[in-house]
Amino acid sequence: MRILAYLTAILVPLVAYAQDRAPILMDVTETHILPRFAQLANATETLATTAQTDCDPASDDLRAAYGRAFDSWILASHLRFGPTETNDRAFAMAFWPDTKGFTPKALSRHIESEDAAVDTPEAYAETSIAGRGFMALERMLYDQAFAEQGRAAYRCALIRAIATDIDQNAKAMNTDWQTYAPNLTQPGGDSPYRTGDEAMQELFRALTTGLEFTADTRLGRPMGTFERPRPNRAEARRSARSLRHVELSLIALRDLAARLSFDHPEIAADLDAAFAQAIDRAQSLDDPAFAGVGTAQGRIRVEALQQSVNDIRQIASAELGPTLGISAGFNSLDGD
Amino acid sequence: MTNRRGFIAGLAAAASLAPVPAWASVGAPSFLAAALFPDGSYRLSGLDQAGVILFSIPLPARGHAAAAHPFKAQAVAFARRPGTFAIVIDCQSGTIIRPLEAPKGRHFYGHGTFSADGTRFFTTENDYEAAEGVIGVWDAVSFKRLGEFSSGGTGPHDMQLLPDGNTLVIANGGIETHPDTGRTKLNLPTMQPNLSYIDLSGSIRAQVELPPALRKNSIRHLAVRGDGLVGFAMQWQGGLTEYPPLLGLHALGKDPLLLSAPEADQSTLQGYAGSIAFSADGQSIAITCPRGDALHRFDVSSGAFAEAFALKDVCGLGSGSKGLVFTTGTGAFGALDPAGAEISARSDCQWDNHLIPIRSFG
Repeated sequence: MRILAYLTAILVPLVAYAQDRAPILMDVTETHILPRFAQLANATETLATTAQTDCDPASDDLRAAYGRAFDSWILASHLRFGPTETNDRAFAMAFWPDTKGFTPKALSRHIESEDAAVDTPEAYAETSIAGRGFMALERMLYDQAFAEQGRAAYRCALIRAIATDIDQNAKAMNTDWQTYAPNLTQPGGDSPYRTGDEAMQELFRALTTGLEFTADTRLGRPMGTFERPRPNRAEARRSARSLRHVELSLIALRDLAARLSFDHPEIAADLDAAFAQAIDRAQSLDDPAFAGVGTAQGRIRVEALQQSVNDIRQIASAELGPTLGISAGFNSLDGD
Repeated sequence: MTNRRGFIAGLAAAASLAPVPAWASVGAPSFLAAALFPDGSYRLSGLDQAGVILFSIPLPARGHAAAAHPFKAQAVAFARRPGTFAIVIDCQSGTIIRPLEAPKGRHFYGHGTFSADGTRFFTTENDYEAAEGVIGVWDAVSFKRLGEFSSGGTGPHDMQLLPDGNTLVIANGGIETHPDTGRTKLNLPTMQPNLSYIDLSGSIRAQVELPPALRKNSIRHLAVRGDGLVGFAMQWQGGLTEYPPLLGLHALGKDPLLLSAPEADQSTLQGYAGSIAFSADGQSIAITCPRGDALHRFDVSSGAFAEAFALKDVCGLGSGSKGLVFTTGTGAFGALDPAGAEISARSDCQWDNHLIPIRSFG
């Protein structure tokens, strides 16, 4: 794909070239999107089969499979459109933030009533979305409050049901992405994207909303305010994955940004340097669940990380967006 | 009620004793709108009928909507959410009478309305720790906080007074946000917007929800016709491969009616309507759709789609003396007439989401 892009650049005049989205759309779809959903479906299958073999919440194998599957989801979750969004699949994978505590409520309800929905994947997929996905499974594996609630046999069945549901959901996304992919690579016709520009807009939006979610929600929620930090609001803090999610999301978004900016080496370099800075800060933070936001020094470091993610956002919106010719009007970009 | 234009004209004449601001000779504004100016400042401007800027007041941050007093030449302009400030403006002089600050634990959503007698002012607010919508009640003379009551849902945005003078109609958009996380939407999988009718003492008269399949259609902006018919504009939070209706009509005691353009047009809107207004004669209703660069007009009595206008980054919409007027993020102000959309003024600024007509209730 890279070679094709170079050839195109040489052969056609600049103006026409600016309109040719095909090489980048093909590259992002084939090299960035589809492999992530294939990898996700693999990792969730391992999770589901591991849970069948061993449903002990403290099991190293089960926790490792959980971690790898959740990693794969975080590496794909910025691609929140098309098949990822259908039937609220992304929320069914990870119901977070859970501002009203729906996840523990849903799980307690299942356990107390010994809800038979755990017996079939179809039935479980119809239960409350807050009781599905990685955040629900995290409660069952890492939250002491659920370690002794109800009967052990039911808890085991519930863990298996959640793992299987995650796998079914991931497989459905992977299958549907393969049929959806031509919409991005061949816009027009029956594709929901009328033009290559619209398909590019979708991918650019995935980049900017992914960055926004990491800066404002993954980091902003635990930071709270200086007067009132909220470490208990960190994402997946029970499994100490909060910082890891920031790092993984940045790694995934860096790859997407590099592909989208491929034709503009200077912007690509700016973006890459900004990502490098942010990832470096994340990797040197040593505060896996952002517990440190409660102290002045800890907070300053998380704030610096957030600032470096905001720096990337700035480059994306001020340099990459306009260069890609993505029309972002005052109202259309940021309405209310 | 005192004729508003006459009243303002009277005030303008009486103001001859005071220093005359530069714009006073041009007359009182017909519209208010917030904008971003090329020097990076956010300002609130008063516009005449043709969209010419009569005055502009610097705002501490990006503005959103404003509410005009029913008979005094006063308006309250809001910061955009999650702002905590609003300013009371003298529309004669274009000066700030006083600031208005949201109480602790609340922020404004950017819209508000006066009571018909001009004694009270109501604001849509977020009780963000509880994630509950609140209507703030203020004394409209002293602008002291009198109290608050539930908005009947989460994320109240626009609010209008019905012609009965005793009922507020509130667009509870359903989306939970918290100032710690900026404008991030925190509850999309469980969101449930509604249209709430609440009397001025806070009692809910009626609530309307859309069918479950449209649960992610955030009801955000409102227009009210002289007979109490409510128009509501929506912003779709679901997948962009669906093209749900973005405009609805509701009369108390009846089922809501959802209006949509044919799919070829509807599919270009990216699920987003920014503003809504009835035409002055009440026969038409329109929405602006900045993400689709379109303005869609419908016939109210038949509910039929009438026409689409292609307008770059159009968002502000209001009813002018002759017909619907609009503003765009490219600085244009224009009006719809049978021949099409005619731009009457171009300002060197980016008009923000809303255009607020300054006039009393139809």
